[in-house]
Amino acid sequence: MSASLLVRKLCAGYGPMRVLHDVDLEVPGGELTTIVGPNGAGKSTLLRAISGIIPRAGEVLFEGAPLPDRPSAIVSRGLAQVPEGRQLFAQMTVLENLELGGYLVSRPERAERLTRVLNLFPRLAERRRQLAGTMSGGEQQMLAVGRALMGKPKLLMLDEPSLGLAPKMVDELLAIVRRIRDEGVTVLLVEQNVAKALAMAQSAYVLERGAVVMKGAARSLLGSEELRASYLGTDARLEH
Amino acid sequence: MSRSTLTRMRGVPRALTLTVVAGALLAVLPWLLSDFMLSLALSCLMFAALAVSWSMFCGPTHYLSLATSAFFGLGAYVTAWGLESMPYGLTVLAGGLVGAAFAALIGVAVLHLRGAYFAVITFGLTELVLHSITYVEKTMFETAGRIISDAPENAVIYWTVLGITVLAVATAILVRASRLGFALAGIGGDEERAQTLGVNARRAKVLAFSLSAFFPGALGAAMAVRWTYIEPMSVFNPFIGFQTVLIAMVGGAQTLLGPIVSSVFFSLLTEFLRLRFPYAFLLVLGILLVVLVLYLPGGLASLFVRRARPHA
Repeated sequence: MSASLLVRKLCAGYGPMRVLHDVDLEVPGGELTTIVGPNGAGKSTLLRAISGIIPRAGEVLFEGAPLPDRPSAIVSRGLAQVPEGRQLFAQMTVLENLELGGYLVSRPERAERLTRVLNLFPRLAERRRQLAGTMSGGEQQMLAVGRALMGKPKLLMLDEPSLGLAPKMVDELLAIVRRIRDEGVTVLLVEQNVAKALAMAQSAYVLERGAVVMKGAARSLLGSEELRASYLGTDARLEH
Repeated sequence: MSRSTLTRMRGVPRALTLTVVAGALLAVLPWLLSDFMLSLALSCLMFAALAVSWSMFCGPTHYLSLATSAFFGLGAYVTAWGLESMPYGLTVLAGGLVGAAFAALIGVAVLHLRGAYFAVITFGLTELVLHSITYVEKTMFETAGRIISDAPENAVIYWTVLGITVLAVATAILVRASRLGFALAGIGGDEERAQTLGVNARRAKVLAFSLSAFFPGALGAAMAVRWTYIEPMSVFNPFIGFQTVLIAMVGGAQTLLGPIVSSVFFSLLTEFLRLRFPYAFLLVLGILLVVLVLYLPGGLASLFVRRARPHA
């Protein structure tokens, strides 16, 4: 049984400013769920609230049990986040970044995870001694995903992984995300590339001004006139 | 920059063996050296232990603590108050524990501050402890200072300080290779990021800060017997804290060997300047600090690290 996430009436914000209003979300175990929406809709805030970086109100159940508030406790439950803008330790090597990702797992397990991640991202294996800050955007994003995988997550949350990447790199990265899902990890993907995200996800949510305005099977949303008009442009072709 | 922890782990038994062997070799010095040379060696060891323990926490996290004098002075007062009722070795242990306990206490209160704020508040806390002890001594015991009688022999003090130094270096080696060292490096890189990877930043910081304060506390207790008269102004001397920071930064607080080498260099230099230029020596030290911070922010060790990794 893969890990599922259930969010009920989640509210969060920054200081006095409330960004999220009663958001309900269901991420079935083993599936890939995507959240799309315009800039400033609160997508990143939602992920930050779930992973405990900012305070939240409401109910968050992970594998049927309430999720703790502290980020380190949340990570140890098996939730990993790849934050927007990658957030690497620029002054550390690729290997050191990966090892920090495996902070919570035991030493032998960390070595085993490291081998798996380096197999998944051969490019990182080549550059393991390089400082993370000196790599290209795509390589850094791969490192960010690899680092999150080091902690043996049951649920992986990705915040706009394709941001600022070359199209070829986006395809490569999203293929890896799909592979991670196929290996049994539940994935929650926030994306600005709506067509690509909907094409690979099972279910999808559309977030606008801090509230869910549309939800359903990704395929049917992809066919929805309303969504296509707002996000894909009227002439958008379906990608498969 | 430090190497990966996996490769670091491999060097640990060797580094520990080297530390113990060096300690054993240095243990014969009391039979070889004159009293003056032995006190110089003592001063080198003391600053080596202070700089290594300071770097243990402040090196990876990039915190700048000026509280070393507070831990040192508290340790010295443990000896001043306890030496009549306790054996010397026990006062040293107690001094270390008091230093660690005090660091844990202030760590919980102020470790969320960063940069200049943390430096200023640790300096302020040192002053606060100084004046609190002065006040307690004056009102409760009606005394301004304390005379220490039956101090142990110089050789015993030397071996004690040597023991603390070996322990400090061994602890630093183990911390660097441990999960705690891992967490500290992550916190130094970016605390929020480290937290999202599962690091309990608050606990790691308080633990490491407290651990690193054991050594100045123990050193204060061990060194107190060298002065026959103890008063707050002399044992809470901010110069000890500044000198520690200076040595660690000049040596390279990211490394282990840097602070050790630079403590020997600085202790000898300080002694030389004090003898040759009794009035201007602090001035010369100050200028040296300014020049080094401006032109070699990574410390002397960065020269060698850069050479070892030209591609980085």
